[in-house]
Amino acid sequence: MSDHNSYEEKDTQKNDQIKTEEYSLNDDRRVRTLSPGALVIRRFLRNRVAVTGLIILAVMFVFSFIGGALTPYKEDQLFYRSDFQKKQYAGVKENTELRYVTVSKKSFPSVAQAKFVMARKKGSEGEFSVKGVNYSFKEEGDGFFTIYGDGELAAFATYDIISGSTSDTELPFELQYEIEKAVNAGGGTFELNQETYTAGEDGAVTKDGVEVAYASRYIVQPIMGDVFLTRSFKEELTSAIAEGSNEFAFTDEDGTTAEYTITHDAATESWKVMQQVETKVFDTYSSPSKAHPLGTDRNGMDMLTRLMYGGRVSLYIGFIVVFIETLLGVIMGGISGYCGGWVDNLIMRIVDIFYCIPSMPIIIILGAAMDAMRIDPQIRMIYLMLILGFLGWPGIARLVRGQILSLREQEFMTATEATGIRASRRIFRHLIPNVIPQLIVTMTMSLGSTIITEATLSFLGLGVKFPFASWGNIINDVNDTFVLMNYWFIWIPAGVCLLATVLAFNLVGDGLRDAFDPKMKR
Amino acid sequence: MMAGQLDYDPSNILVVRNLKKYFPIKGGMMNRVIGQVKAVDGVTFHLKRGTTMGLVGESGCGKTTTGRTILRLAGEKTEGDVLFNGREVYDLTKAELRAARTKMQIIFQDPFSSLSPRLPVGEIIGEAVREHNLIPQAEYEDYLDKVMDECGLQPFHKTRYPHEFSGGQRQRICIARALALNPQFVVCDEPVSALDVSIQAQIINLLKKLQEQRSLSYLFISHDLSVVEHISDSVGVMYLGSLVEYGDKKDIFAHPLHPYTQALFSAIPMPDPNARMNRIVLEGSIPSPANPPTGCKFHTRCKYCTEKCKTEPPVQKEVEKGHFVVCHLYD
Repeated sequence: MSDHNSYEEKDTQKNDQIKTEEYSLNDDRRVRTLSPGALVIRRFLRNRVAVTGLIILAVMFVFSFIGGALTPYKEDQLFYRSDFQKKQYAGVKENTELRYVTVSKKSFPSVAQAKFVMARKKGSEGEFSVKGVNYSFKEEGDGFFTIYGDGELAAFATYDIISGSTSDTELPFELQYEIEKAVNAGGGTFELNQETYTAGEDGAVTKDGVEVAYASRYIVQPIMGDVFLTRSFKEELTSAIAEGSNEFAFTDEDGTTAEYTITHDAATESWKVMQQVETKVFDTYSSPSKAHPLGTDRNGMDMLTRLMYGGRVSLYIGFIVVFIETLLGVIMGGISGYCGGWVDNLIMRIVDIFYCIPSMPIIIILGAAMDAMRIDPQIRMIYLMLILGFLGWPGIARLVRGQILSLREQEFMTATEATGIRASRRIFRHLIPNVIPQLIVTMTMSLGSTIITEATLSFLGLGVKFPFASWGNIINDVNDTFVLMNYWFIWIPAGVCLLATVLAFNLVGDGLRDAFDPKMKR
Repeated sequence: MMAGQLDYDPSNILVVRNLKKYFPIKGGMMNRVIGQVKAVDGVTFHLKRGTTMGLVGESGCGKTTTGRTILRLAGEKTEGDVLFNGREVYDLTKAELRAARTKMQIIFQDPFSSLSPRLPVGEIIGEAVREHNLIPQAEYEDYLDKVMDECGLQPFHKTRYPHEFSGGQRQRICIARALALNPQFVVCDEPVSALDVSIQAQIINLLKKLQEQRSLSYLFISHDLSVVEHISDSVGVMYLGSLVEYGDKKDIFAHPLHPYTQALFSAIPMPDPNARMNRIVLEGSIPSPANPPTGCKFHTRCKYCTEKCKTEPPVQKEVEKGHFVVCHLYD
């Protein structure tokens, strides 16, 4: 307890001291001290336009870096939508020509066939002779004729097509005859060679429960060469046609169900069968929706996600390029300005040469060269940064050199020499801090212009490459006029992001310049 | 400089002998040296310990360059000797020079450009103290407070930045920076010419007070003769890079010998409106230091000019004890 009290006493004493130390109204110590940096920040914050720029930049950063991490999709995630495609699948024709099946070792020549057709028109029974053979025929059922030559069964004619279940099934005359008889009668069983066959109403003939043959009045042919139409499909199809329905579904042995539509062509008395296939297609240029607030691009990738990642790439490239530029520029300009003499001369001539290099053609040529060498897109991005950085330093070098030259002649630099402060300290504590304001302004400005350059190159297809997004290559989609006119969500957001970012960098740069220079009144 | 060390008089903190500093003029196709600006062209004087020498002359006559050349701040000298405490300043190695920097300091004319704008005042004043490890780390803050107090600054000024100070306060900071190193010799390069008169007096008195406390030696460069008269023990008069007359303040002000000094001193304004001014008005203007006249440099404007003056350069002569003049009139 006593300890507590003593502490409290001390505290109150302290408070008393503080109270007695309160400064009088005219005391200099009442004035708050602001470092030049704090003053700059204050002046900057008073500049409403520059603060707007800063806010835009903050939004862009959050959008690109945090947004990219939060988005549920990946940068190069492809989206699909299912689409029903109608594919011409098969053609069906009703057989309108009689087919003749002849008894083995007997013949029913084509002259006889012609005579038969003519005789048939006269009635359901008749006779005719060809080359001394007397033929008689009888209509056993609907479109089923038996033909006798000299009193013996020589052939039968029918509109049905009888085919084996498998391609190697042999169908002798007797079997075909029995099948036709049964089918024509509307189904039934018959016996042949001590074996029992059952013919169904639909024309299927089974032996011991196994289908052996099939009789149908329809000819079903696949339209695509590589499709084999199974018997069961044909059955389903023909029964559907017989029922006069327009569509049917069929499940094949693999268990996949497909829907088919049947269209009847009256002119040719044929049916066309279209398969409706459900296919997955890339969800390209889909309009903004809940899943994709800005739609999808031409590859079927989420536009908003691409935009976020694109911002990331654009800002990364901007910052790294400006970092390289500044590093080189400060080193070269610093050496040039501080050393002077022939070193200065040499470096400034190098700068002059760099100024003479037309940077755009160089970058385009290098971009094309990288295309030809098939450089990995990621490595290509690094190269791009290096190239832009190496081409951009001379401006900064000149600025730094000029600043250092003028600062070197300032008396405070002479004062550091007079007080014997070593060279490294002179450079880093006295020279560099005084160059930094101009440097920051130039860097901010060149951030904007670098992002523009990068966007230009990416737009031309020479900068950031697919699968990586950048605002430039997002806008690249617009080289198709149709996209430009119909899919606003592809290019407007990227364009707005680019515009806002570059504008914001310039506004902030301007604001900083004004803030660093108190004489500048706005 | 063996000769310098031979006749070394320990009562002299600084001996300057025939000091010359030429700046090259470059031009032409190959950036060759096509001429020289003879900014300092033969300056000889010595400064006794604990005294002040005033260096006067019109603008552009090389006063400032003389001051800086003495401190080895203007690159290499062209010719002559600068003996500081008996040692040739230009023979010092880098390390020796750095150590010597603490002994000789400079206060600049412009208190605005001579303070680094991005450092707080405490840092400006104390940086070199720490750099040279003059004071143990523990005593550093107290030492800084003491120096600042001596120069009329408050301890809380340490955290402020130069832009928050007035011209007079800035000049105090400059003085504090120079004196924090505890030098023996200070070049005051027109320390008051950028200030208004009331502040001038404060600064001059501060300098005098500090001189008494620390037995400093000053080379006080100024074009303001009344200030020089107030502060100096001896006075040197410069014309076109050369020291034309140099001696005790009283001698020089009482009876200037050189025609230029006479003309210069006649221009001192009198505070009495009724006093009859006996001005000597010089004809023409100061010649170019890149192409100074032959013989006596002053002959183009001198009313006592003779044929000899035009051809033969005069040498420094001790006309009275401690009163030197460079003029053919006193041959």
